[in-house]
Amino acid sequence: MTDLHLDLLIVGLTAVTIVTRSLFMIVGDRLLLPRRLQQGLRHAPVCALVALIVPQVLTSGADLDLSPLNPRLAAALVAATIMHYRRDMLSAMCAGMMVLFALRWLV
Amino acid sequence: MFGPPGALATSRRLAFADGLHDFSPAMIATAAWSVVTAVTTVKMGFDIPHALAMNILVYAASAQLAVMPLIVGGAPAWLVLLTAAIVNLRFVIFSAGLHPFFKEHRLSRRLILGYLTSDMGYLLAIRRWSGSGAAEPGGSADEAMTTRTWYYLGLAAGNWLTWVSMAVPGTLLAGRVPTNWGLDFVGVLALTAVVVPSVADKPSVVGAVVAGAVSVMARAMPLKLAVLAAVVAGVAAAIASERSGRPRRP
Repeated sequence: MTDLHLDLLIVGLTAVTIVTRSLFMIVGDRLLLPRRLQQGLRHAPVCALVALIVPQVLTSGADLDLSPLNPRLAAALVAATIMHYRRDMLSAMCAGMMVLFALRWLV
Repeated sequence: MFGPPGALATSRRLAFADGLHDFSPAMIATAAWSVVTAVTTVKMGFDIPHALAMNILVYAASAQLAVMPLIVGGAPAWLVLLTAAIVNLRFVIFSAGLHPFFKEHRLSRRLILGYLTSDMGYLLAIRRWSGSGAAEPGGSADEAMTTRTWYYLGLAAGNWLTWVSMAVPGTLLAGRVPTNWGLDFVGVLALTAVVVPSVADKPSVVGAVVAGAVSVMARAMPLKLAVLAAVVAGVAAAIASERSGRPRRP
């Protein structure tokens, strides 16, 4: 791998970032989506973030770990519960990390 | 840029500051991912200048993590670029959701707004805008779009500044940062805290449950296709739930 090749790849990857993240803003005027679909798309970021979070919480390696003693699951549940009732990010994260370390140490 | 000059300067600045402020809780998640990605880049064998260039310019953590092994393994350029594009497909869906809000801008500005889109930036923008449709109450349509754009740029600046300011020390100190002490999980917890307030009404609960289930069932799929499948299934479920929840017209 030459330096020039890697430089060009980084430029190409930057272009990929721009084009994928803008695609419908580039072609959208010519491609009208049904209204209900358009409105439903406001749920897309929640779905994406949930899909990024859940596998990291529920799996270890390739296996599902649904036990309540799964440190990651317990930590995420505690953090989500505190966030839901108190809307306080810092206490949610601190409580989550404490649960994580406590269960890792105990189990 | 992004609006008429002069009189609106103050409202633009306020909207930008508003966005930056609203992004602040999400900074912990971005910071954690930035360090994890930067450290991984150096540990994969990239030299410091290229690692910095990649983390600052490409600006796409999951795509970078997917293509680095391919680049190191000497895969052809088209495969590297195609892989990055596939990993980024969820952003194509996001761009469809963003289009109505920004369609009055000229192309170059839409490209900038697209480039700066992040999962959390889009989530927070939609949380503020949903319900109001494409128009915000009060003021002209032009004014509303200017305010919306600068709010979005404020969110984007929060993400970008956090990403870059953590990527630089992450890259330079990569040799001394121990992995595997739970930093990635700090990111997971921060994402969880950011997403919880958005799961508020029935369609969003249905969407989140379906997306979570699909992401686990499809976790063996390569290239983050499980995330794409989860977004498609979750959005479809949310739309169906909105339809069934609406009272029937007589």
